[in-house]
Amino acid sequence: MSREVRRVYRWDLDKTYLRTEFDSLSRLARIPFETADQKVNVPASAALLRELSSPLPGEPAPFVSILSGSPLQMRRVLEEKLALDGIRWDEFVLKDNLGNLVRGRFRALREQVGYKLPALLRSRAALPPGSREVLFGDDSEADAVVYSIYADLVAGRLTVQDLQRVLRSARAYADARSAAREALSAVPRADAVEVVFIHLDQRTPPHRFAALSPRVVPVFNWFQATLVLFARGHLDAAAVVRITRAWLEQAGVSPEVLANHFQDIVRRGHLPAHAAERLGLLVSEAESTDAARRVVWGCVRRFRDVSPGPRYRAPSAPDPLPDYALLVDRGLGAEASPTPPAEGDPAT
Amino acid sequence: MDSPPRVTIALDAMGSDHGPGEVVKAAATLSLSRPDLTLVLVGDEPLLTHLLSQDRYDPGQIAIRHAEGFVSMDESPGAALEARPRASILEAASLVASGAADALVTAGPTGAAVLAAARRLGRIRGVRRAALAAVYPTEALHGPVGDPFALLLDVGATTSCDARDLVTFAALGSAYARAVSGNPSPRVALLSNGAEPTKGPDEVVDAHRLLRSADIVDFAGNVEGLDIPKGTVDVVVTSGFVGNVVLKMLEGVAELAADLARDASGRKFLWRMGLTMLGSGLRQLQEMTDWSQYGGAPILGFERPVIKAHGRSRARAVANACKVAAKVARADLPREVERALGRVGEVPVPPRGGPRP
Repeated sequence: MSREVRRVYRWDLDKTYLRTEFDSLSRLARIPFETADQKVNVPASAALLRELSSPLPGEPAPFVSILSGSPLQMRRVLEEKLALDGIRWDEFVLKDNLGNLVRGRFRALREQVGYKLPALLRSRAALPPGSREVLFGDDSEADAVVYSIYADLVAGRLTVQDLQRVLRSARAYADARSAAREALSAVPRADAVEVVFIHLDQRTPPHRFAALSPRVVPVFNWFQATLVLFARGHLDAAAVVRITRAWLEQAGVSPEVLANHFQDIVRRGHLPAHAAERLGLLVSEAESTDAARRVVWGCVRRFRDVSPGPRYRAPSAPDPLPDYALLVDRGLGAEASPTPPAEGDPAT
Repeated sequence: MDSPPRVTIALDAMGSDHGPGEVVKAAATLSLSRPDLTLVLVGDEPLLTHLLSQDRYDPGQIAIRHAEGFVSMDESPGAALEARPRASILEAASLVASGAADALVTAGPTGAAVLAAARRLGRIRGVRRAALAAVYPTEALHGPVGDPFALLLDVGATTSCDARDLVTFAALGSAYARAVSGNPSPRVALLSNGAEPTKGPDEVVDAHRLLRSADIVDFAGNVEGLDIPKGTVDVVVTSGFVGNVVLKMLEGVAELAADLARDASGRKFLWRMGLTMLGSGLRQLQEMTDWSQYGGAPILGFERPVIKAHGRSRARAVANACKVAAKVARADLPREVERALGRVGEVPVPPRGGPRP
């Protein structure tokens, strides 16, 4: 692997990149038999990853890593799917579920912390210390916690003892624990993780992630993440328009709905108002008949109309660090969320 | 099947007795269950954002409009609105007036809602006074769908009114019952102290004559207080002062009945057994008399729908108020009322205190 400092984008697949339905047994049973062209993307996931994997002017190509809990046996079809979407990747890690099954390690079939943490640390150890990372996961499993632990380990805010405590809490097997310990020892400490995007596939209330750090940005769709990445200099305005176009096509939403999503991400403090205004300036500059460009411009305009005097409030970091072992134990995914109360119809 | 046209509701989030939490919860729930609605929460933006982020919601269906302050229940509405020109109820009414929203829902004080609507929305042509309407359960069912609720108005938007106002209320109530209860020809009556046309104060007698002469509503004449719970008509028209007294009395009687049942169940084992056996029926009755089901009271007479949810509304009641608001917004109530009131203009109003027929 090249030792050149690169931007790093790490993606989970199911419910992050692909719209995978685990919700019924019949759907679950269908997954292994799906062909690449039958797999469905989360709206705009491919457009976003394609844009991110293109090098910015004067920079080397970013490092794209896919880390998924899907079994190794699905590698061919998943690689085909990524190729169909025009995605290039540098690293593609899948889970050895068959191996776990043969060795009677049934816990490891579902468990994510003991699988993902060592894999992330191993990958990090092979990268130059200055490489900055953006991570993409979802709320159906423990991605937010795993990525946060990883970020704090790499930054040196957590120790090897903390790591062991977390892994014990996750009931990770001994070999996973020692693999993680070994990988961590090879990781040069740096505050490398810039943002962790959590796709709210299960609509987990965003506030639930406030226990982690402002680095964790819960998003309802990849359009919202696109806006945050624009504000942070990962994407330019033209890329925002292209991704918006893909999202409008795939999600089938109206410009008004899109504008509400725009306002939501500003309101929650993840997109500074000045960045929203800058985007408005850039997309309104060129006269264009491009519908997507007009829609993005419309979002900025509506944001101004509905929220006069927007005030950016950056979320604050929790102090001290969260008790990750406890979070792993309790879970921070959708399974911890209450279901909305049933409601009756009005009488008249 | 075509999906219904999208309706945007400006939701005053601040005025409720329970604070904005219940209103935000209602918006969050509706955002997940009613893709045909957009909810614009109006109030303190940082607070509303914080509350919203603690719930499951669909951000595509929700916007927040920042407002500075709100009118509380113990304030004089006029003075409060003067002091706070960007109060949540005024901002919400402005959104509706500008066309950015189609209907206004508030759990704040009625007086402030009426004033804000009057200042921002404008009244339907021919309407001089707005009316607050209330639905209440009756013994008889109403209309082809068998709606167990009838409409009573005015229940407190104004204290005094004349014959023409009562006629206006009749037109408003009739149009509302058609739109919301799906009753194509609601029977409308004036509340008086006797069924005869000459019974009651001057304005009631005059209104009776006007309603008899003009083809405005399906007029059933006068009804007495005891006809209200029986549900002999679909819409009962009265002045705001009387209507408010009647409404509070109905609520009081319902509460008294519930208290008596609770008391009885504690006194004798046999009574408790009896009440237990009647359990499902009593629950049904309780459900029917539960105002949180009604979906709020419409303030009728303005160019755009205004629904006043009870000050003590929980999320469910606010959500139901929004559903009613959407229903009214989709019906062309103002034009219908305008047409009906146009017919009143053709009938001469007898002078107050003049000779009675």
